[in-house]
This record gives sequence, structure tokens and C-alpha cells, in this order.
Amino acid sequence: MTVSTDQHKEGKKEVTFRVFRFNPQVDSKPYFDDYTIPVERGVTVLRSLNYIKEHIDGSVSFRAFCQAGICGSCGMRVNGLSQLACTTQVWDVLAKSREPGIIKVEPLRNLPLIKDLIVDMDPLVGKMVHYSNWVDSTMPEAQMGKKEFLISEEEFLRYDKATDCILCASCVSECSILRANKEYVSPAVLLKSYRMNVDSRDASHDQRLAELVKDHGVWDCTHCYRCQESCVKSIPIMDAIHGIREDAIESRGKHDTSGSKHAEAFMTDIEKKGKLIEATLPIRTNGVVWTLQNLLPMAMKMIMKRRTPPPPPLVKSVKGIKIFRAMFKEMTEHVKQDHKSHNK
Amino acid sequence: MKPFDIVIVGGGGAGLYAAMEAMKTNPALNIAVLSKVYPNRSHTSAAQGGANAALGNKAKDDTVEMHIFDTIKGGDYLADQDAVDVLCSEAPKIIRELENMGTPWSRMEDNTIAQRPFGGAGRPRCCYCSDKTGHTILQTLYEQCLKKGVIFFNEYFALNLSVSGSRSNGLIAMNMKTGKVEAFQAKTVILATGGYAKMYWNRSSNAAGNTGDGQAIAYRAGIPLKDMEFVQFHPTGLRKSGLLVTEGARGEGGYLLNKDGERFMSRYAPEKMELGPRDLVSRSLETEILQGRGFDSPAGKYLHLDLTHLGADLIKSRLPQIREMSMNFEGVDPIEEPIPVRPTAHYSMGGIDTDNQTRTVMEGVYAAGECGCVSVHGANRLGGNSLLDILVFGRIAGRTAAEEAGKFTPGRISEAELAEQFEEIRGGMHPSGRYERYGELREELGQTLALNVGIFRESSLLQKGISDIAELKERFKKVRISDSSDVFNTNLMQVLELKNMLDLAETVAAGAYARQESRGSHTRIDFPVRDDANWHKHTLATLVKGDVTLGEKPVTMGRYELQERTY
Repeated sequence: MTVSTDQHKEGKKEVTFRVFRFNPQVDSKPYFDDYTIPVERGVTVLRSLNYIKEHIDGSVSFRAFCQAGICGSCGMRVNGLSQLACTTQVWDVLAKSREPGIIKVEPLRNLPLIKDLIVDMDPLVGKMVHYSNWVDSTMPEAQMGKKEFLISEEEFLRYDKATDCILCASCVSECSILRANKEYVSPAVLLKSYRMNVDSRDASHDQRLAELVKDHGVWDCTHCYRCQESCVKSIPIMDAIHGIREDAIESRGKHDTSGSKHAEAFMTDIEKKGKLIEATLPIRTNGVVWTLQNLLPMAMKMIMKRRTPPPPPLVKSVKGIKIFRAMFKEMTEHVKQDHKSHNK
Repeated sequence: MKPFDIVIVGGGGAGLYAAMEAMKTNPALNIAVLSKVYPNRSHTSAAQGGANAALGNKAKDDTVEMHIFDTIKGGDYLADQDAVDVLCSEAPKIIRELENMGTPWSRMEDNTIAQRPFGGAGRPRCCYCSDKTGHTILQTLYEQCLKKGVIFFNEYFALNLSVSGSRSNGLIAMNMKTGKVEAFQAKTVILATGGYAKMYWNRSSNAAGNTGDGQAIAYRAGIPLKDMEFVQFHPTGLRKSGLLVTEGARGEGGYLLNKDGERFMSRYAPEKMELGPRDLVSRSLETEILQGRGFDSPAGKYLHLDLTHLGADLIKSRLPQIREMSMNFEGVDPIEEPIPVRPTAHYSMGGIDTDNQTRTVMEGVYAAGECGCVSVHGANRLGGNSLLDILVFGRIAGRTAAEEAGKFTPGRISEAELAEQFEEIRGGMHPSGRYERYGELREELGQTLALNVGIFRESSLLQKGISDIAELKERFKKVRISDSSDVFNTNLMQVLELKNMLDLAETVAAGAYARQESRGSHTRIDFPVRDDANWHKHTLATLVKGDVTLGEKPVTMGRYELQERTY
């Protein structure tokens, strides 16, 4: 095969693919191999890799299956960004490339490396199982097939986007929490959990939610939005994460977990002062005992270095707090309205 | 190690449904699913349009009976009518069952499952979830299998059945992560590896892995393959890649136009127009191109699929994937301009010969889905019937294997047999001196098939095809694997897949050459009419002493007499 399309009039570019290589059988550490090939407009990163594999080096290893952006096999990092190789146009990447003419191809992050561009997906599947990422139907198995659940288009639309997920793990690779904590539930699994939780056919909502609010769960997300930005199917993943949090506070109460208490403390502070009262935040989130046990040494250090945040009475409200409070109130009302219409 | 009760090869819709149903039938059984990809990657996910079932949600007067007739007529009377009965009568139940366990479906105004018109169907009975129906069905099945605790062996490449006389001892497969050849001693094996249309390579809509592994395994074990010459060309593949634009696009009202801007389907199917059955519409496109009414481009001749009159809203809500694909792979936004299309090899009607319970001639071996051939699609499958097929017959395979597993005592798969398999795949593939490149052989196979065993077939073309394939098989003996690693040797896997395609290509070409008539997807220029007197029968291809040997099997008839097929 040659990498060619009908648009050869538009020219060809010499492109160097700098490919991450690692074969656990022989290599003690990873390295990069450069492959320079002519590429025409309209050619995807996957087609280029196929070309390299067939014409230059058959040992370059990567996964690919449908080649049409629906199976999710070929997730990898192209110039640092996790995406599907099969739907990524080489010329588009080149236009934004920091080093002219060079495209760096690396495996997804946050999953164990197997070989070259191939990572182990088992940890992700394990998490799907741990968080019951399935509909546990309210209908007994013996009754199935006799009649349909009647579902409104409106309910369908609540999980329609979430079911676009092809488990390509781009969001997993981009997640900043997972880089620090491999046990973190991960964005894709939160998205799937949300999709199950809003499905009226599901009977396991409460158990699933109970698991999600535990350690390494939904409250660990720091809202960096990288999952959503990298989603190859443009799914609003953060809406799902917020959805689970709101649901948790609504159905389990505000004081259920340190995560919800943390969120509540933010709300109270912002409403009152327009900014955070940091000194008491740990106590309000995790309680006095936990704070003394865990943060006392750090607090001492902060005192020594005169880095302690001001005590609550000294935290002044931000400028224009009155207007801010009015805005805040209006916003909260809006969110409540949205929820009501959503839950109808 | 204790033998497995059931080993399922393939983790698509058929394999997963089989696993679920087998566990339901007898929870005490020891069941494993083997797949060369993670099951959620399987090609079921690419099915866009939907699954047919006479639910009567859209057209109140739809009936199972009408579904049966449409399917038999669509298959040009080659389908076995008792099998079609099973397919269509089980349809409403199985679609509801999927709905009940959590599959998302688009909805009607009265909150029931939405249905839309599809080619060759007398009523709008195709149930869908926008244009990602297969994807959502596959996700649901995978999720439910995880819920039930099905044991998966992911990224295992199936090599061969271990056979003693007339019975199977189980399966031999390569673990991709280690390169080791492992034995799966099993009372029963269900082959559910999907289709073989990828042998047409660039002129195919299929995933790279739809290489007919299951059919090739069965064929090498002496199990006959049925109706292999029937390969469906989907009318609307994208011009450059062969990737698919769902029939749903025409179901929603899309037009096919030639370079004169003419809705040319009025010439071929004045009543059904764009929604004629696939074989007929594909031939119409090909004829337009052959008679010079196609557009020209360096990537080949093509026609237009025009959706622009449908409006941005409908395209965005009902056909979002199609829009994305057209933009990604053709640089065309269907809201603004027509999509360049041409026919692409899409589906294999043929497959492993089974009875209505999915049994093959070999004790303890079953086949389901596109991998098997019951036959419910006859000479041409209707859109929306393939998802249905994998569900209905996947379930039957799971149930039958679960009920029959107790009858079989598989023999041991010896270390010697494993060593021999290992030697076969790894030993001979570093030839010295002049060697062959995998990519070239695969490319040439696709080309000769598209040219000589394609939409329009003819005696001399087919002879050329047959001799080309034979030559490629010879050259394959000198193919080289340039990756010597044990870990995830995708190069080795590709070569093994090519071997499977070469074995099967021979049966496709042989069947096409022998069948001296035109029926369904099989069109002979030199025998342009259907010949019921001589050819109203299935062909069986069996491997005897290294050669394809053709046999035949009668078609089971029922309520419907042979009729001329017009639309």
C-alpha cells in the first residue's frame, strides 16, 4: 500500500514520526525511533503507522481494528495529546506541531505499558466491574422479553451522549488525578456510572453511589477538565461528574462524606465572603481529629515559615460582595430550576 | 486443569449473547470467552442502522409474518424458511429483552422503541439508537457479561481446533501478551468470530480483523462452509476508505445521484427507489459507474449520496456518526455537500454450515452470527437483519451448548500438539533468500477479489481470480515475519489472518465459479438469470486433502413458493 489519496495535487510532506518503542523482552528502558515518510493531505496518523509497519519496520506495535473511529482500539498520544490515531489527520497535527515536520507518537498514560504503543486495559475493566458499570435491571430475568419499559425521549437524552463512550481511554490517559493515584476511579468509569445512575431501569443506584463517594471516588476529581477536552467523542464528561456529586449530596445528604463536606464548605465561604476561609477548611472537611492527626506537622511548618492563612475573623469579604451575593443567589436558583426540569 | 464446559471464540454480539445465555441456562458451567480484541472493540460496534423486529411501534399493522416474507424474498429464496421463522419470531422478544437489560434505544412519541424504514422491508421495523445501534448493543452485552462474571481471555488469537476423529477436544490459541500457544480443552466450542469480507481489503467496510478466523478454523478441521460465494456489497461505502455510510442515511430520506444529478434508482427500483435491497442498489451504482455516469477522481469513480435536503437538525440528531466520518475521511460535511460513495464489500452471507440449533457436523462444535450460516439471509441479507441474527442465534448457540455440554468427553490436548502448532506459526516464517511481504500479498488478494470475484462476475474473470489466489497461496509460503518478539507480535497476527483469508478466498471463488446463475448478491454476467431448476440449493465447500471440494445441500422451503424477485 502507498499512502496516497486523490488529492496528490495538493502536495506531499516529508514527515518524521518519532515513535515510542519498548519491548519488555529485550529493552531495559523505552526509547524513540524516527521514521520519515512522505504523507499527503487527508492521511491519518493510523494510516501512516500502518505504512511504517508494512514498509519500514514490521516490529512497530500498536492496536488498530475498525479504523473508523468507533471501536476505540487505537488510542495513543500524538504530540502529547491522547486521541484516536484513526481519526487524527497528519496535516492537522503538523499545523500545531512544536517541532516542524515531527510528530511524536507515544502510548496512553496511566495504564501499564505492554509494548511500544500498547497498554494494558485490564485495570480499566477492573474498575468498571468495581463500580458496577451495568444496568442492574429492575425487571426479574424471568420476566424479560415480554414488554418494553416505556422511556421518554427526554430520559433517553439524559444518557444519550454518555453512551457514545467507546472506552478508548483517552480521558484516562489525560486525567491529572490518575497520574498521582492509579486507584482513582477514572473519568470513563465515572461517566459510565453516571449513565447507569440516571437510567430509570436500574435498581442499583444507591449501592453504586455508595461506592462512588468512597476514597478514590467521585470527590477526588479536581475539575481540571482535561478528560472532557480530550474526549474523542466530545462527551461532556464533567457534566457527568458534577451530576454524580449533585446526586450524592441530594440523596445522601451534605455531611455524608468528606468530599461533600468539602464542597459544602466551599459553597458557604463563597456565599459569605466571596472567597475561601482556608484556615478552617481541613477541619470542616475532615473533622478536628483527622486534621490534628494528619495536618499538625504541616501546620507547624507553615507557622515557622509564616505561611499560615489568616484566621476566619480576619478574612475580609471581597470587593462588591453585595452584587456578588445577588449573582450567587441567582445562579443557585438557576441550577435548582435546571435540576427540577431534569428530574421531571 | 479441568476442561471447560464451553469455550466461546469471539466477543462480539453473538459470542457475548451466547455466554450470557449459557450462564443463564446452567450457572454451574465453566464458561470462557476468547477474543483477539477486548470484546467491546468487536465489529458489532460498527453496525449503525439497527435491528429488525416486528414490534409494530411505528407501523401498527406490521407482523412477524411480513418480516419473514421480506427476509425470504430479500435473500432471493435461498434462505431456509424454518430458520427464517425462528429469526423473525424471536425478534420482538429479543429486542425487548435487550431493552429490559438496559440497551438505550431512540424512542417514539409514545415512549416505545423507535423504528425506521430499511431497505427491502415492507414496514418500518428497524429498531435503532441514533446511528450507534450496534455500539450500544455491544456495550450492553459486555456490561451484562461483566455483571454475570463471565471469564474472558482477551487478546488471544484462535489458531485451530484440536480434533480426534469426528469430535473436537477444544481449541488451541495464542496468548498475544506472551506469544505462548495454549490449550483450551473444552466439551463444546462456539465459533462466533464474525465475517470474512475483509478479504476485499480496501474495497471493504469491515474492521481490519474481520478475516474469517472462525470459518478458516472450521474449514481446516474438515467442517463444511456453506454458500461462501455470497458476499454482500453495501451500496454506500466512502469513496476513499470503503468505510460505511449506514443504510439509515437512505432510510431517513437520502438520495443517490449520478453526475447528471439524476436519482438513478428510478431506473432500477421505481417503487422502492433508494430503499431497494442492497444487492440491487449496489448493482445499480456499479452499472451507473460502468456506463459512465459516475464522477471521476484519482481515488476511483464514485456517485453521490445526498443528504443536504434533510437539514442540519435531522443530520445532527439521527446521523451524527455519519457526519463525523464523512468529515474525517472525505473532508465533506453532509449538511453542506453530498457524500462521495461507491459499493464496498460489507457482509458475508456464507459461513460455517449449521443446523437451526447452530450445531455443525462436528460433535461439540457450534457456530453463530456472521461466522455461521444457518441460513437466514440466503443470497442477500436485508439491512437490520444481521444484528438480529447475532442476537437470536448467539442465544440459541449458548443455550444449545449449555444443554449438550454434558454429552461430550473431550480428549486431552497434548504438549506435542501445542509444540507442533507453535512450530507451524513461528518456525517457517523467517525464510532465507527471497521472501514475500505480507502487505503486498494482502493488497493483491483484495485487488484480485474486487476485480474478479466482485459485484459482477463472469467465467473468465473467476478463472483468473482462482489462479491468482492459488499463486498467492504459493507465495505465502515464503512470507516473512519481521517482528521476532514473543510479546504482542501484531505482525505475526496479521500474517496468520492473511492465511485465513487466503484459505477462505479459495472457497469464495470456487463457489462463485461453480454457481452458474445470478441470485441475490451473486451476479454472473454470463448467467444473468436465476436458475431454480439447477441452482436452488446451497453450496458446501469442504477441505479434502488440501483442496476445496464442492458439495450441495437442499434449501428448506415452507409457506413461500419460489417467485420472481422484483422491487
